[in-house]
Amino acid sequence: MEPFHKIYRLLLVLVIGGLAWNILPFLGSIIGMLVFSFLFTTIFLPGVDKMERYLKSRVVSVFLILSFTSLLSISFLGLFFSNIGSQVKLFTNRINNEDFLDNLSRLSDKIRNSLPDFISTLIPEGDNLIYMAKNTLISIFQNILSLLSSAGGFVFISFIVLIFTIILLIEYHDFKRTLVRFLPNKYLEIGLRTIYNIEQQISKYLRGQILAASSVAILSILGLFILNQFNANITLIVFIGIIAGLANLIPMVGPFFGMIPAILISLMNNIGNESAFLHQLFGIIPSPFYILDIVLMFILVQQIDNNFITPIVVGESVGLHPMAVMIVLLIGGTIIGPLGMLFAIPTAGVLKVVIGEIVFISRNSHLL
Amino acid sequence: MKALFKNYFKKNEIINPILKSVLNVPIFNNLSKKELEEVLKLTHERHYKKDEHIFKKMAPSEGMYVIVSGDVKILDPDTGTLFASLKDDDFFGELALLDEEPRSASAIAQSPSKLIGFFRTDLLTLMERSPELGNKILLNLSRILGERLRKTNEELTTNLDN
Repeated sequence: MEPFHKIYRLLLVLVIGGLAWNILPFLGSIIGMLVFSFLFTTIFLPGVDKMERYLKSRVVSVFLILSFTSLLSISFLGLFFSNIGSQVKLFTNRINNEDFLDNLSRLSDKIRNSLPDFISTLIPEGDNLIYMAKNTLISIFQNILSLLSSAGGFVFISFIVLIFTIILLIEYHDFKRTLVRFLPNKYLEIGLRTIYNIEQQISKYLRGQILAASSVAILSILGLFILNQFNANITLIVFIGIIAGLANLIPMVGPFFGMIPAILISLMNNIGNESAFLHQLFGIIPSPFYILDIVLMFILVQQIDNNFITPIVVGESVGLHPMAVMIVLLIGGTIIGPLGMLFAIPTAGVLKVVIGEIVFISRNSHLL
Repeated sequence: MKALFKNYFKKNEIINPILKSVLNVPIFNNLSKKELEEVLKLTHERHYKKDEHIFKKMAPSEGMYVIVSGDVKILDPDTGTLFASLKDDDFFGELALLDEEPRSASAIAQSPSKLIGFFRTDLLTLMERSPELGNKILLNLSRILGERLRKTNEELTTNLDN
């Protein structure tokens, strides 16, 4: 009877494993949505708990906090897209303007003449330049259209994540109790401690990251404002700052993505402006269209963030060695891409807590 | 009319055995029924078999237990000294709510027992969600510890005098 049981169990495991393997791709998106909901829950949980103190109603607290956040996000996105739209429109008008075309042709010729022959052949002529700019714009519009067509899916996913977050926030403490119910008596106290430590780890990391991102956003806005005082003519500085702050959430590579919108907008606004083209950083280093100024400003913001803000607000919240951080980021990036990089550090932090508790249990099993 | 009145107010009597057990714990003194229900939402109901360890000496401590039904003995496994035999509505391990020191004795169920666990993490959550309630519990806890300290001092003085 015993071998028969073993074969039966093995078959059962194989069947369940096979089913799970086939179902997993379909469950992937749901798991992803749940992960996002859990992250949002962790971010909002302290706020909901605090508001519950005053309102004496958890449901009202959850709805108030989430409504305020959703309204803020929708207003931000709406304003951002309408501003980007008017920016692109302005740029298109300028490209179609004859004066602008003349200016650009003259500028192109000037550059070609001032450079040695072997490099000047690489610079396109005025007409070609316009043609290239128009093609680029068309492709940008096509990309925006394809983005909008997929926006339906995004709205649906956001809605589901919002619903999951509402449920998780309202029922969080009950869910936790239910989870604890499944723990064997032997592991009850150690299990509770592990859950609490994981919560603390994620919560501390997220709050630290949000604070660091906010400070990067504010510093970037300030930096761009200062650049504008030197006629950099960069518009949408608040949006650029917020994007830089959000990009900062992805460690190591995020800050570099953050400076791209600023460079693009500076190019859009300053093309055709001779003085912007001939601008020199500190009056010595050529910095056409203030590109070097922008890069330098963002590097400065990064240095302030890395050396002063992050160590204070994020501190050693995760307590990983910088080398381990790099390896974890590479693994996350290779497996899931940019999202993997975003989740890599907190996941590593959670694993660190779990492994620490497992090691503790294995060393002190006689006490449990 | 009297019967109707009696029947109506019967609903307010504490019939939940868990609530009844928790009501007898000094840590939850001066708490209204609503507040007690709030605390119960955070506690964990556990069932132990006969001779099952609730916790062992030197194990990491996380909180206290209230006996809803059953018997629990608190003993030092090294010396075999029996510190206490506890029954329904008794509680133990409350010191762990405040400090993170390892357990000073073992707790073993002497018969199939139903216990309510209230842990440090629950108290921290309560203090976050409802500070007034958390403070009431902390104050009760301090009162109990103060009483014990006074008792220990008295015993020490008596021993020194002798």
